[in-house]
Amino acid sequence: MKLKHNFKWNKYLAAGLVMTGIAVLLGILGFFWTPYSTTAMNAAEKFSPPSLRHIFGTDNFGRDIFSRVMQGLGTSIVISSLVVLISGAAGIVIGALTGYIGGILDEVVMRITDAVNGFPSILLTLVIISILGNGKQNVIISMGIVFIPSYVRIVRSEYLRLRDADYIRRARLMGVSRFRILFVHILPNIFSVFWVSVMIGFNNAILAESGMSYLGIGVQPPDASLGKMLSDAQGYLQRAPWYALAPGLTIVWLVLGFSLFSEGIRRKEE
Amino acid sequence: MIKIENLSVAFDGTEVVKNVSLDLRDGEILGVVGESGSGKSVTALTLMGLVAETARLTSGRILYDDVVLQEAGKPRDRVLYREYQGAKMSMVFQEPMTSLNPTQRVGRQVEEMLRLHTGLTSGEIREKVLETFASVGLRNGEKVYASYPHQLSGGMRQRVMIAMAVILHPRLIVADEPTTALDVTIQNQIIELLQKINREQNNAILFITHDLNLARRICHRIAVMKDGCVVESGSTKEVFGRPREEYTRRLIEAVPSRMKRRTAAAVRERAAAENSAEGLARGKAAGEQSAVRRTEKAVAPIVRVKDLSVFYKEGNNSLFSRNSRRCVVEEASFEIYPGESLGLVGESGCGKTSLSRALLGINCEVKGEIVQKTVRPQMIFQDPYSSLNPAKTIGWLLQEPLRAAGALDKSLAMTKEDMEAAAYDMLHRVGMEDKYFHRKPAQLSGGQRQRISIGQALITGPGFIVADEPVSALDVTIQAQIMELMQRLQQEMNLSYLFISHDINVVYHMCDRIMVMKEGRIVEIGETEELYNHPREEYTKLLLCGSAG
Repeated sequence: MKLKHNFKWNKYLAAGLVMTGIAVLLGILGFFWTPYSTTAMNAAEKFSPPSLRHIFGTDNFGRDIFSRVMQGLGTSIVISSLVVLISGAAGIVIGALTGYIGGILDEVVMRITDAVNGFPSILLTLVIISILGNGKQNVIISMGIVFIPSYVRIVRSEYLRLRDADYIRRARLMGVSRFRILFVHILPNIFSVFWVSVMIGFNNAILAESGMSYLGIGVQPPDASLGKMLSDAQGYLQRAPWYALAPGLTIVWLVLGFSLFSEGIRRKEE
Repeated sequence: MIKIENLSVAFDGTEVVKNVSLDLRDGEILGVVGESGSGKSVTALTLMGLVAETARLTSGRILYDDVVLQEAGKPRDRVLYREYQGAKMSMVFQEPMTSLNPTQRVGRQVEEMLRLHTGLTSGEIREKVLETFASVGLRNGEKVYASYPHQLSGGMRQRVMIAMAVILHPRLIVADEPTTALDVTIQNQIIELLQKINREQNNAILFITHDLNLARRICHRIAVMKDGCVVESGSTKEVFGRPREEYTRRLIEAVPSRMKRRTAAAVRERAAAENSAEGLARGKAAGEQSAVRRTEKAVAPIVRVKDLSVFYKEGNNSLFSRNSRRCVVEEASFEIYPGESLGLVGESGCGKTSLSRALLGINCEVKGEIVQKTVRPQMIFQDPYSSLNPAKTIGWLLQEPLRAAGALDKSLAMTKEDMEAAAYDMLHRVGMEDKYFHRKPAQLSGGQRQRISIGQALITGPGFIVADEPVSALDVTIQAQIMELMQRLQQEMNLSYLFISHDINVVYHMCDRIMVMKEGRIVEIGETEELYNHPREEYTKLLLCGSAG
């Protein structure tokens, strides 16, 4: 019997890993170093098309688009990660409790999540932001809250399935505490399912964050963000198509890479 | 009539059936017996042309009346097969729950055979179906005809399956474990039905089973399979009377049967022999103890149950619907003494499991009195594949009961080293080696998992264990090992078992006393030998003759 963990590669996993890896590295690098300053304007180089000097070209203020994409990428990834962290953690706790305990608690929580799901997520985020006020933290908090129900559902259904498994019955017979059953006995068994939903959630968070900054909420100028760049580029689509293409394709690249990655993981599980 | 010559079948390059040769004559019942993974089902499916597309014939051929159905190196001829499937050879599957389409009335499903293979009008078809229903013992055929599978019981569904298989009078019927999923008394009826069909229509039956008692009862000839090979074949009398192969002998020996000594007695004697004088005394004492115990009432029972009723909550746990409750166990009273095994037998749905849950304190809806000395009785589950947490290592699993006990009662808390030592000790006690300590359940076989399961139940020294069908998911040879292990541990640790099983032969070997349950009531309770030789209740007699071995 082979004890070594057999890590099977597949094309999805490899392609996804490469695409995500490049994006994440560029994004992280963007916090420390960019080829040009992200805010330095240069009237002489307004709307210069992609060239060796500026691989993605420059924008209406003559700023280097590649540098700004790097910065925007980093912000997007950090915000999305935090959103997934918040909503995922809350989803596990709430889903575990409702799925395992059930009864009235389950009924109430599920109706609340139904209600939350009833609103378009962007709209709901806007409502929360209008209460909390603008700003990066508030975007993270409000998106975190909006994404909780999707995790609750998945975690809950897994706990519902496993709470009557023989090995959980046995743990109850041993007198294992409820907390320990929830988070030591059951939790490791739902990771494979949860992992996939985290991947999907991360993609949704990237898209939602871009959408929000497109609407002018969230990251404020002069800081770069992919969504904001898209909305700024709208006015110059004819004159400088690269201005819109650069952040747009970057979002596609990141989301596609992550989708492939999660698909690869899913296939590996099977 | 049917000839399987030198057949080998491979999946992804691994041969699961190796050079199997079988032949079958009209009117003959050939039993193919073997443990799980022996290749008996794959052989049958290949014969029927139903084996998965990924399977490849690497050698041999299959002949039906000198017509080559399949040959190595040639793709399966679907057109030819369609002509044979159903009309000339048919199959009865194991699981009556899944082998019928749940969305269609059963009448229609049976009709389909006739519509595909004959040119009868719909009126004639209907008549023929009803006629066949009557011949397989389905009374009220009209009603069955219009029913959906879920409206029928398991036995009735299996009869429908058999009706489907025999309606075109095929000369060959392949029956793949046709009674395994059924209760003993129903099992008996189905076997009799198959025998009747075999006599009346003179068709050949290929009977696949893991149950040697069953094979012995109905088969004319037997082929024993192991690891894809036929190790022995011959007439039933020969194979059972004078098995030539070591494996066959072991298989026959492993089958719990009333012809043989009870395992309990055997284990006691062996222990006595091994441990000389001291052991002898202990073994003897243990043997006499249980009798003495109950006659003199000198020892207090470890569990005393009085007028216990258990209820089952009905209704869908919703916020607005009121829950009703149904009584599943009615006023049960019994006692279990230290060091004793009490068997609990009955058919599915008779309340065995509900009763055991009540004893364990899982089911809260009870009325009556349960007094037990054990604080936390433990349980051994039926399915070794779902009773161990797949995310944890064996070592962790064995230590967890100790951690839980320590958390509940500070005086029982142990150090890490002590717990680890205890876990290793238990691993040895259940007959496993050190190397398994760091493995996960998925890397263990069914029998090994059941050993760990037993270890997990025993490590806190509970004294009283509920064993719910602990061996029925296992192969016979493994079954015997686990039963012996349980007996040995009982001796060593002075355990009491409540041993639940539908297999009365298994219970016979394991238990000192037996309790028979029917429809929520305890109908009879008595000493094992007494109950077997002089059953008082009609129902007990029925159960006993249903499993004559």
